[in-house]
Amino acid sequence: MKQSSTFRISVLVFGFAFLYIPILSLIVYSFNKSRLVTVWGGFSTQWYGRLLENRQILDAAWLSLKIAAINATGAVILGTLAGLALARFGKFRGRTLLSGMTTAPLVMPEVITGLSLLMLFVVMEGAFGWPAGRGFTTITIAHMTLTLAYVTVIVQSRLSSLDDSLEEAAMDLGARPAKIFFLITLPIIAPALVSGWLLSFTISLDDLVVTSFVSGPGSSTLPMVIFSKVRLGVSPDINALATIIVLLVTIGVILAGIFMARQEKRRLRDMQMAAAAK
Amino acid sequence: MSRAFNSSLRAGLVVTAIALAVAACGKKEEAKQADAPGAAAAEEKVLHVYNWSDYIAEDTIKNFEEKTGIKVTYDVFDSNDMLETRLLAGNSGFDVVVPSASFLERQIKAGVFQKLDKSQIPNLSHMDPDIQQRVALHDPGNEHSVTYLWGTTGIGYNVDKVKKILGDKPLDSWNQIFDPKEIAKFKDCGISVLDAPDEILKVVLQWMGRDPNSQKDEDLTAAAEKLQLIRPYIRKIHSSQYIDDLANGDLCIAVGWSGDILQARDRAAEAGQGVKIAYSIPKEGTIVWFDMLAIPADAKHPKNAHAFINYLMDPQVAANNSNFVNYANGNADSLTMVKEEVKNDPGVYPTPEVKAKLFPSLAYGEQATATMARLWQKFTTGQ
Repeated sequence: MKQSSTFRISVLVFGFAFLYIPILSLIVYSFNKSRLVTVWGGFSTQWYGRLLENRQILDAAWLSLKIAAINATGAVILGTLAGLALARFGKFRGRTLLSGMTTAPLVMPEVITGLSLLMLFVVMEGAFGWPAGRGFTTITIAHMTLTLAYVTVIVQSRLSSLDDSLEEAAMDLGARPAKIFFLITLPIIAPALVSGWLLSFTISLDDLVVTSFVSGPGSSTLPMVIFSKVRLGVSPDINALATIIVLLVTIGVILAGIFMARQEKRRLRDMQMAAAAK
Repeated sequence: MSRAFNSSLRAGLVVTAIALAVAACGKKEEAKQADAPGAAAAEEKVLHVYNWSDYIAEDTIKNFEEKTGIKVTYDVFDSNDMLETRLLAGNSGFDVVVPSASFLERQIKAGVFQKLDKSQIPNLSHMDPDIQQRVALHDPGNEHSVTYLWGTTGIGYNVDKVKKILGDKPLDSWNQIFDPKEIAKFKDCGISVLDAPDEILKVVLQWMGRDPNSQKDEDLTAAAEKLQLIRPYIRKIHSSQYIDDLANGDLCIAVGWSGDILQARDRAAEAGQGVKIAYSIPKEGTIVWFDMLAIPADAKHPKNAHAFINYLMDPQVAANNSNFVNYANGNADSLTMVKEEVKNDPGVYPTPEVKAKLFPSLAYGEQATATMARLWQKFTTGQ
């Protein structure tokens, strides 16, 4: 028994080390004095100061965050609709087609998605003048195409694990479908929506391939700027920025975790109460 | 991982570029007609520039904005492939772009660029005639482009480590890289080669005493065979990583681009870990490449673009840029204002004897491109 617990602990430690040591080393090196990313030259916070002066990176980071937030919101709305259709509307005509089509971007190589979107935008601009040039709008649309699929899958699986009887009961009591959706279904699938939103946000934030194809002047996202800097070596102010992002993401994940845990607890309690009432 | 990503992205870009080139041919005429009326109208005070990353002095853009009141949107790329994809897709939205001359050569043929209105660029009078002549091999008559900065492909090395192996013998010949017996001496200390197949094949041909720009199958194959012999001694094939690796002291020798290696030298000095880096242009001669300022045919602000190019060719501005990025510029009159240590660095401004041996890297045709890709694949995988 004892042996297996040391084994389990070492696996746990190894697993966490594997996941977090790279991030930790990045955080440590963001306080490096040296310009070389991999050589320790003493403690300093100068790169945080330099970061604040680096308009290019800050603008790119701000742009990425804006795109990611709009994209995530849009993807959650569209993905929920698609997930709802797939999970609740039975066997309608074209269901297989719809489910295949919405999940296709999951398996499509990003290079192909990017290329085809680029072609589409160019053709559309030629045909009816919209979108005028490539930039913020086209990147957001492209990211939604990509992330929509993830949200759909999450929402659909959440819905299929959900007991229909709750909705049926509401219907019995005379609620209209819209009311059922907003009062019953939506609160129950809220945790799925939150994780879908976060997932879309993250995917959008670090997408490089698709973005490279569909961006235009003045719309270089953070990953594009960082990647273009790789040619001359990554400068430590990027470490500083990454540290700040890690911090923000950690806070976001913790908040989402608390929210979801609460939801789950309430759901269990409600279910117990429902069972007791029977 | 980054490498795998890089090559898959590049493969995608190449496919796109080909697909778009076909499409672009059809659009060419249309674009020409479209921009005639636009040019007459007054232009918005806006300019979209697309340049290599870290390739301009820190205050150049700001000064230009202050001087002209034109608001500049400045974006950066890190590979010619990326730029080409955007350009060939059409309507890229950029007004000034900076492709390398060999790419520019192809892009001119695809009708991507407009002819420059030289009356709007009076500073062209400062250009170095020798450079102009060399560039004309890519852009006949210098009609579409102006040389921004130029450099060479050579050998960067860790001074102390190489000295330990070679003693007082200098590292100044391609023979020391491409002869298996010579390179074997450096086996344990790390050698990296650019992931730029055309350039490497061309320098090998030059070393073999053949025409470096030969597109003949037999020449390319012969060069690749020589490369295959030294493959076991090469640790990395990459176009940017060697900057940091040299500066950290992880690499002994890197076949790379002049400015990048000088960047590594400065960075190593800054880090103060005692690593000394030097750049040498092999005596057999090497590639000289140019990064060119050009205006896409469908640019929306051609007038501002001309003004920007003219501004960059102001001798003082050109000198500032060279001082900052360690690359030579094509502006003869700027030379007096270039810092001594940049101007007198034979790695940046080669001596006339070395300059005489520099040769351009001309664009390959379709056949040679395919052959090159196949041979390079074999080389990188080491089979």
